[in-house]
Amino acid sequence: MSVLKKALVVGLVLLIAASFGAVAQAKVKAAFVVSNQANESQAFSAKEFLRLGAKYGFEVSTFDAKGDTQVESQIVTNCIAQKFKVIFLNPNDIHAIVPAIMKAKQAGLVVGMFSSDLVGADQKYRDFASSSDDVLGGQLAAQQMIKQFPNGAKIVEIGGQAGHNAQLSRHDGFNGDKGIKGSKIQVLDFKACQQWATDQAQAIMEDFIVKYGKDIQGVFVHWDNGATGVIQAAKAAGLKNIFIIGVDGNKAGYVQVKSGDQAVSIAQDFTAMVDKSLSLAKDVLAGKKVQGYNVIPQVIYDKTTVSKYSTPEW
Amino acid sequence: MSPAEKTGALKSAAGFLRSYLLIVLIAVLVVLTAIVEPKFLSGQNMINIMRQFGPLIMVALGMTFVIIGGFIDLSVAGIINLVAVVTISLIQVLGQVPALIVGMALGAACGALNSVVILSSGALTQAEALFMTFGMSTVYSAFALLYSHGSTMHFWDIDKSKSVFEAIGAGKVGPVSVSFLIFLFFLALLWIFQANTTEGRSIRLTGGNKTAAELAGIRIRRSIVVIYTICGFMAGVGAIVLFSRITTAAPVIGANFETNAILSVVVGGTTLKGGKGSVLRTVTGVLLIILMSNCLNLLGVSSYLQVVAKGAILVFAIWLDNRKQA
Repeated sequence: MSVLKKALVVGLVLLIAASFGAVAQAKVKAAFVVSNQANESQAFSAKEFLRLGAKYGFEVSTFDAKGDTQVESQIVTNCIAQKFKVIFLNPNDIHAIVPAIMKAKQAGLVVGMFSSDLVGADQKYRDFASSSDDVLGGQLAAQQMIKQFPNGAKIVEIGGQAGHNAQLSRHDGFNGDKGIKGSKIQVLDFKACQQWATDQAQAIMEDFIVKYGKDIQGVFVHWDNGATGVIQAAKAAGLKNIFIIGVDGNKAGYVQVKSGDQAVSIAQDFTAMVDKSLSLAKDVLAGKKVQGYNVIPQVIYDKTTVSKYSTPEW
Repeated sequence: MSPAEKTGALKSAAGFLRSYLLIVLIAVLVVLTAIVEPKFLSGQNMINIMRQFGPLIMVALGMTFVIIGGFIDLSVAGIINLVAVVTISLIQVLGQVPALIVGMALGAACGALNSVVILSSGALTQAEALFMTFGMSTVYSAFALLYSHGSTMHFWDIDKSKSVFEAIGAGKVGPVSVSFLIFLFFLALLWIFQANTTEGRSIRLTGGNKTAAELAGIRIRRSIVVIYTICGFMAGVGAIVLFSRITTAAPVIGANFETNAILSVVVGGTTLKGGKGSVLRTVTGVLLIILMSNCLNLLGVSSYLQVVAKGAILVFAIWLDNRKQA
């Protein structure tokens, strides 16, 4: 009987210790600072951080910087005061956020950049970055265009928000050495939008159609929701068989590729990006050395591959 | 010609330019573009311009009343966000006509709520109303995000008929787009209201001098409710035209519509100080903004320079407005 009691007590003690351990492990406080919750990909990423955090032993809180660098810096400062151990940060401005990141590092926090990395010497202030490569996204779009038109074609390019890092990188990648440069693809015209707004992409495409008409064989538009506007403009003008390439691989891109309205979407994998960020943070906390810049591969949705993937949630 | 005659002729030319500068600018832009790019005058481009006119003109027509009344409304972006996501989702639930009615009513309700907040807080200056409506815009946008869970809603998500919205977005009656006909309908309605009703005149008097208007027996509180309700209603109509055109509604679809609407109203010649202006002037303001984008795209001008041009025109319009007042 006494042996049974002893075993019961030991078992209980072990159980309590294990629960405390589990609680302690789950209580590594991590913050995901969203550049702007109104951005669909960021809102989805926030959901994924909340969903996957526990798998890596994190209790994740999300904060919205509402597209404002000042607000974002203030959130970082608040996270330091609230004793967070890890910050995942999607910056609104990769330069303006640096002083706040420096403070976080001085306070001993693990800092992971999400979806956008710091540049040059500033990279020493973060532990790692997990991101899609927008230059590579532009290059992949160019390769798809060249593959479709090996003997050359006349195309137009519609950029995302003028001056935005992703817009500039995708444009550079598409037009650079590993892009259409040196190929027989001729860009008739390029215009960037004032925001990532579907109606602006549509208006630009309508104007391009007036100017170039049936000469337009292909369109590279920097985001899939913009491609929705391009498709509407082409349909309204009665133009068929325009080879439209978008970037993002969101629900719009997926459905448009599946229906044949859009030829290709260069898809970003935000679930993989979140997973990688959490895994890297865990490794850093465990004292392991991690790679600084981690590129999350982009996949290509086209008529032959799209059915292999499930409908994206965002 | 004597020196006095020369001076008189110069003065009258300057006066003509001051009064009709916008029309002159539009004419110069049209002629220049038509010379460099003859396709500008094609039927297809005219239809494009009519379609591009759609969402902005609706919002700007409503904004005209707020500015004539001596106020400003920054909440239209939030109202557009909210009305767009609610209306598109209700097509599936209620059917298209009830969804359309609810959407417009929601816009009017948001506008009326703005006026209640402004009146109850006593924010009766333009600057106070600016901050108040900015706050309300954030509230409406947040509701739009909560309602849609941050996701964009698409026409293809809707199983039920959406033919009314498809007609608004891409339909034509002969050579004229349906959205342009809707604009003509609301323009006529609002012009009659502004020019031929007591309330229309009361709004102008309220904007000119609130104290004097009140002493003259004008019910300025009612005028404030009317102008914000009209503005909210027209923002709702603008939201419906907008998502019908692009076939999707994101919870951020209305971004920057408030600044473009104010820009159109002021460029059209309605004074920011209140009391003077008309919906017809706003039409010329929107026409300039739309034509400028269209012409500059056809002329191959870079996106950055287009933003500079837009900003410069706004500054010039306000400068000219102040010169006229002086």
